[in-house]
Amino acid sequence: MEMAPTSGIVEIDVRTDEMLVNMGPQHPSTHGVLRLVLRTDGEVVSEATPHIGYLHRCAEKIGENLTPRQWIPYTDRMDYLAGMNMNLGWALAVEKLIDYDLPEKARHLRVIIAELNRIASHLVGMGTYGLDLGSFSPFLYAFRERERILDLLEDACGARLTYSYLTPGGATADLPPGWLQKLTGFLDQFEPVILDYHALLTNNAIFIKRTANIGVMSAEMAIDYGCSGPVLRGSGVDYDLRRDGEERYTSLYAGYAFEVIVEKNGSYPRDHEYPPVPSDAVLGDCWHRFYVRMLEVIQAIDLLRQGIEKYSQATGDWGTPIKLATKLPKGEAYLETECPRGQMGFYIVSDGSGSIPLRARARSSCFCNLSVAPELCRDCLIADVPAIIGSLDIVMGEIDR
Amino acid sequence: MADYFSTWFPEGWDWLGWLLAAIIQAVLLLHVIAVGAVVFIWMERKIAGRIQDRLGPTRTGGKFGWLQTLADGIKLLSKEDLMPRDADPLLFKLAPYISLAASFTAFLALPFASGWVGVRLNIALFFVIAVLGLEVFGVILAGYGSGSKWSLFGGMRQAAQVVSYEVPLGICVVVPVLISGTMDLVTIADQQSGLFSNWLFFHDPFCMLLFWVYFTCGIASVNRAPFDLAEAESELVSGFLTEYSGIRWSLFFMAEYGSMFLVSGLAAILFFGGWNGPIPIFFWVPEGNFTLETLANLVGLGNFLLKAVLGVVVMMWVRWTLPRLRIDQVISMCLKYCVPIAAFCFLGSVLWTALHLPFLNDVMPMQARGDVREGWVQDIDNEMQQLEKRLATEAYELNSAVEGGPQQEAQTSLEEDAADRVALIPTPQPEGAR
Amino acid sequence: MTNFPLLLAAEINWHTVFFYLTSFIACGFALAMVVSSNVVRMAFFLVLSLAATSGLIFLTGAHFVGAMQLMIYVGGTVVLLIFGVMLTAQQAFISMKTKAGDWILALIVGGSLLALLTQIAFSVPAWRSSDYQARLQAEVTAAEEEIIAAMAADNRTELTAAEAAKLRPLLAKVKYGQPELTSQVGLGLVGVRVDKPELDSLGYSGYLLPFEIVSVHLLVVLVGAAYLARSKRSAVMQTPEGDAR
Repeated sequence: MEMAPTSGIVEIDVRTDEMLVNMGPQHPSTHGVLRLVLRTDGEVVSEATPHIGYLHRCAEKIGENLTPRQWIPYTDRMDYLAGMNMNLGWALAVEKLIDYDLPEKARHLRVIIAELNRIASHLVGMGTYGLDLGSFSPFLYAFRERERILDLLEDACGARLTYSYLTPGGATADLPPGWLQKLTGFLDQFEPVILDYHALLTNNAIFIKRTANIGVMSAEMAIDYGCSGPVLRGSGVDYDLRRDGEERYTSLYAGYAFEVIVEKNGSYPRDHEYPPVPSDAVLGDCWHRFYVRMLEVIQAIDLLRQGIEKYSQATGDWGTPIKLATKLPKGEAYLETECPRGQMGFYIVSDGSGSIPLRARARSSCFCNLSVAPELCRDCLIADVPAIIGSLDIVMGEIDR
Repeated sequence: MADYFSTWFPEGWDWLGWLLAAIIQAVLLLHVIAVGAVVFIWMERKIAGRIQDRLGPTRTGGKFGWLQTLADGIKLLSKEDLMPRDADPLLFKLAPYISLAASFTAFLALPFASGWVGVRLNIALFFVIAVLGLEVFGVILAGYGSGSKWSLFGGMRQAAQVVSYEVPLGICVVVPVLISGTMDLVTIADQQSGLFSNWLFFHDPFCMLLFWVYFTCGIASVNRAPFDLAEAESELVSGFLTEYSGIRWSLFFMAEYGSMFLVSGLAAILFFGGWNGPIPIFFWVPEGNFTLETLANLVGLGNFLLKAVLGVVVMMWVRWTLPRLRIDQVISMCLKYCVPIAAFCFLGSVLWTALHLPFLNDVMPMQARGDVREGWVQDIDNEMQQLEKRLATEAYELNSAVEGGPQQEAQTSLEEDAADRVALIPTPQPEGAR
Repeated sequence: MTNFPLLLAAEINWHTVFFYLTSFIACGFALAMVVSSNVVRMAFFLVLSLAATSGLIFLTGAHFVGAMQLMIYVGGTVVLLIFGVMLTAQQAFISMKTKAGDWILALIVGGSLLALLTQIAFSVPAWRSSDYQARLQAEVTAAEEEIIAAMAADNRTELTAAEAAKLRPLLAKVKYGQPELTSQVGLGLVGVRVDKPELDSLGYSGYLLPFEIVSVHLLVVLVGAAYLARSKRSAVMQTPEGDAR
């Protein structure tokens, strides 16, 4: 960060020595292995520089040596909190390349699985955000509910974190019998619990004090930096790939009634009971980003309910995976999906010579979201840094790949 | 106690009795902190577990995991005592002891039941507050001495916090002093004997409000969430504790739990009648009956511990529920909100007391407050009574040596119950009486 | 000085043992503070020395003054440590070397302060004469005898208000030194001279004026310090690459 050197003597308030502090990579609240170099003056952070790359695993290079289906496990490990959504993104990109038409049942299955994983991911985001602000208990409540989601996903695919479930062509298996009933049971129990989270965090006076009007990001700035997902919508930009994305992706959600969670004309879409926006909160601050996430959980529950109904009525195949060695046609395909953390794009290039792509690339949502951090953290207090970084809800696995 | 032990030893060796008494008292108080910390850490684990929908420790030591803290302690003892290369060795090593010593010293003046106190000071409350403020010195030294930037941040935050919470805390404790007219904690609590409406919390509406201000500042003074900014694990790694491990680390925790108990105990004494239960059950105990008085004191001790532990439980409850405040918010809360509220309550209480306005206490049929005065005033009053008797006897002897005057009247009035005479405050007598 | 051996030969009891212990701690840490060159350690030693001093005051039974010493001096040093040292510390403050000139100056100032204190100490009647207690006792006995005589003459068993008021302070003085003194000083500070009521009629305001002057003076010092601490320096920002660790 170069600043134009200004000459001359200026009078400034009582100044203390500037300190350069390393926040991370081993720090409790940097969500993995993010390293922030803070230049602080007392408690005030004058500059925060993120350093990334501690979790780099050459996933994209590996993708150039594997067939698309073999690369699915690597996508799991990108955003390891929302592995299903990662699978989905890659699967859709590959399907776009080979121009594969998805059966109707597989479409609903993918919506159910993706939205369920979105809930799990947002629960972690909510819990760890509580931790960042020093509130320990919501974290465990969130994990209690997430545990049940993981149980459901385990029933479906056998894995709890790195699923590799949705593959090009559909999914590796159909949902087991009785699974939908279990899911309905879970949703019925989970929905009222969200009000508790609102009481513990969203509506909590201290929580509001810590997040409202902190890290305010204007809509222009969010767009300029390429932010996406709840971070973008928290700034009041009405953009959700599930509605505004590519035909191949939005067709999954065709027939689903949902409204994009964004503040319009001073209010959020209100068809459920949830706390009002406090007067201190400014559009684009940490509180709004958190709030969008909380509302998206409710939205996902709605989508799940619709999906259960549609899936049980849907006819046809649940979608068989493509053959491991499906020959890829010459060409390239890029497709973006709406992941819990934002706009996740996958890019595949094939020279048509075989089943191994020439290039496999991922466009990370968190990477762009994190790039706002230096801007947002300027002139805030040290305590605000975890609050801001936490509200961006980054996953380092996705940034470093 | 010391007097009693002194009788065991021959003439000239009675200092051994004093030594014995001092050691016993010191060890007892040390155990209040040490065992208290063991119990509180176990409680904290269980309470946190229950609040978070977990079980907490269940296995160690059979039921309820009640030996968990002991296991923790053994683990901490056997940990390597690490010191960073950049640390200031002297300050780094001494800081935990400073914190613990301050916490322990404050316990010297904290009474546990009527008269059961390490050192009975006239200014016990002032002493406790003064010493409690020293605990942070250890924290600041630890922050500086660790040679780590996170620790330094923790130390600075602690310093900023101290100057903000001590002001309202000071104002809060002045009000009970004002109502009781003494800073002697034993006397303050003894004055609240009788029904629960005698407790200073129910003295007037301002006291009711004031207690919450006191408790808020009390939580701030013991560095518990939402005011645990000095360690703030999500911001400063562990703040001043970052570089500490093993026994030194646990010394800080002992000091913290000791202070928690102290602050709640102080709250119990100042606002909730100390060792006096809500309904008096030992009012019939005759004065001077050692066994019965000890029994009453034991029950009082139970009362006091119950109230103090309840305060600690509330602190834990708060800690596991609320997010942490930011340092500027803590400072502005203490100075911008707590100080004016406390000052307002102070004025309100003064006016209420001065104007003798009625409150709960006056609509309930029961005894008045305990008529107790500070230790030294009581002492001098007793001494004055004795002196009066002695002087009267001598005057009588003088008289009888001279003429053998009216012996009978003098004898009877001498044997009148001393308590009937208002000797505490010299009775104004009409001039004609001479 | 002739009394010096007497001091050593004085009866060894708990008080003397603790007195020597605490005073050695106080003096030792005071010395350590002077010799130390690290500014935070200095503050640390200063705190220990002041705490030991408050221990001395507690030994004399003046609990209030002792707690005051803890609160004001020890607590004040903590604040001094933070705001005076840590927040405004430049590199030079971390390790300080005392120059010879400073030593001499400090010796002169300290020595004259010591002489002054000694002078004051020897002007306290209770400390000047070794028979203070005996004289006090004699005073009490005289008062008692007078009262006994009065009582015998009037043939009564109770003290009159006037007699009680006369005996009470004497008794307190014998037992607790001068317990009334603190409140007298406090009242004197706000302008009520209990000890010399005749001054009231003359319109003297006790110690209020000097007290106010001192506080205004301190306020001026505070403002001045704040002004000096506001640094004037060129505001050229540097790039963040540095000794991050």
